[in-house]
Amino acid sequence: MLIAIVAVVVVIGFLVVLYNSLVGKKNQVTNVFGTIDALLKKRYDLLPKLIATVKAYMKHEKEVLEEITKMRAKAVSGRLSDDEQVELDNIMSKALGGIMVAVENYPELKANENFLQLQRTMNEVEEQISAARRAYNAAVTDYNNAVEMFPTNIVASMIGYRLKKVFEISEEQREDVDAEKLFKS
Amino acid sequence: MKTLEDLREFYNTTLLADLEVLERQRKDVVRKIGYVGIVVLCVAIVGVLFVGSSMAGQPMVILFPVVLSAIIGGVICYFLSKGYVTEFKSVVIRKIIHFIDEGLSYSQESYVPKSVFMMSKIFTRKPNRYKGDDLVFGKVGETKIKFSELNAVYESGSGKNKSRYTVFKGLFFIGDFNKHFSGQTVVLPDTAEKLFGRLGQKLQSLNVFRGQLVKLEDPEFERHFAVYGSDQVEARYILSMSLMKRIVDFKEKTRKKIYLSFIGSMVFVAIWYTKNLFEPRIFRTLLDFEPIKEYFGDLQLVIGIVDDLNLNTRIWSK
Repeated sequence: MLIAIVAVVVVIGFLVVLYNSLVGKKNQVTNVFGTIDALLKKRYDLLPKLIATVKAYMKHEKEVLEEITKMRAKAVSGRLSDDEQVELDNIMSKALGGIMVAVENYPELKANENFLQLQRTMNEVEEQISAARRAYNAAVTDYNNAVEMFPTNIVASMIGYRLKKVFEISEEQREDVDAEKLFKS
Repeated sequence: MKTLEDLREFYNTTLLADLEVLERQRKDVVRKIGYVGIVVLCVAIVGVLFVGSSMAGQPMVILFPVVLSAIIGGVICYFLSKGYVTEFKSVVIRKIIHFIDEGLSYSQESYVPKSVFMMSKIFTRKPNRYKGDDLVFGKVGETKIKFSELNAVYESGSGKNKSRYTVFKGLFFIGDFNKHFSGQTVVLPDTAEKLFGRLGQKLQSLNVFRGQLVKLEDPEFERHFAVYGSDQVEARYILSMSLMKRIVDFKEKTRKKIYLSFIGSMVFVAIWYTKNLFEPRIFRTLLDFEPIKEYFGDLQLVIGIVDDLNLNTRIWSK
């Protein structure tokens, strides 16, 4: 009789440990997503200044700059779901990357103090966003491993935890941005 | 970046003259050491005979005068050579450093202070015997750097139970990092993962004294290093894909155990060397390109950290 009680207690204790580790991993994912959100806001705050500074010089990229302004309005409107945010972030990163590459064609812009300062800040924010995406993917991989691997998969299926999607990490964009190709969708 | 050919030319045009002067000093030192050696030997023999005749049958006691005279002899030799070593370093090593980069200065007796060594959080054990020499400092391009040889030891117990644990011995480098950050990230050589794979990683994550384990994407990097950080996102901001690759390449270049940390917007690099660096030869001729090549190689390696880790790329707001 005593042995049975001890066995039950041990099993329950074990399940509690597994449950807690799953919850911890799920929360880590949410935590990092929050960091990404905060960094995206930082980027959206910088954009109006950037657009204003480069608009006068970058005649060829006029359409892309207008699209970026539109995308920004959509992003800060607060009407996007998490997945749509992620989607938008990907397109935005590519567009911004392309603009930064295109700057090479405008020497007066490159000599502009305001622009140089902005460029440094933009580089920083973009790298931080990239770091946050990587941290998010690591957290999601950790969580997904727990949901799929034994023995935590038993507990995961009991409480209905599903697999999450990772961010796509886009390679550094080296080509100039082509307005049509980018905004086809 | 100075090449070996540049060095050879520098050796022939500038260094040889200085080396010839020092060679005379060296021969003088060797001669004096020879005399001391002979005297020590005579004293030892006399001592053994004296002690041996008055205390027959006690082998341990006979060793006493031998050991004593050897120690005294050793101390005398050390002081004899010290002047020569100082002269050599202040002429030759200083010139080689200046040759590699004119923005660098050299201070033979100075070394990285213990407070800075502990601040790097690379080594958690506080050493109680801490010394070093050969401090190099200055600016390479945009980056301020400082490095020296260090020998940090932790001794515990006394008498028979004395144990000596080397906390760190080698070159310790500090550089101004090219990004702002506020937490701490430490990159340590990874033994557990190499041996135990996934289980090793699990063991590493349980290391509570070190902060959170940061699992990074570069498999080559993960094989060599384990990273602990105060913030998951910041650790990845510092350790970009390109920096991770550069660190692995640098480690392979040194073929030594290396440790890094990123704290207070600075980068610390510790390279473990078992031998003393930048010491002149005493019993072999100085007029030889080989040791010069070695000094140059060691110095170039550590000064090259600035280029190897791309610290002069300043495209962020720092």
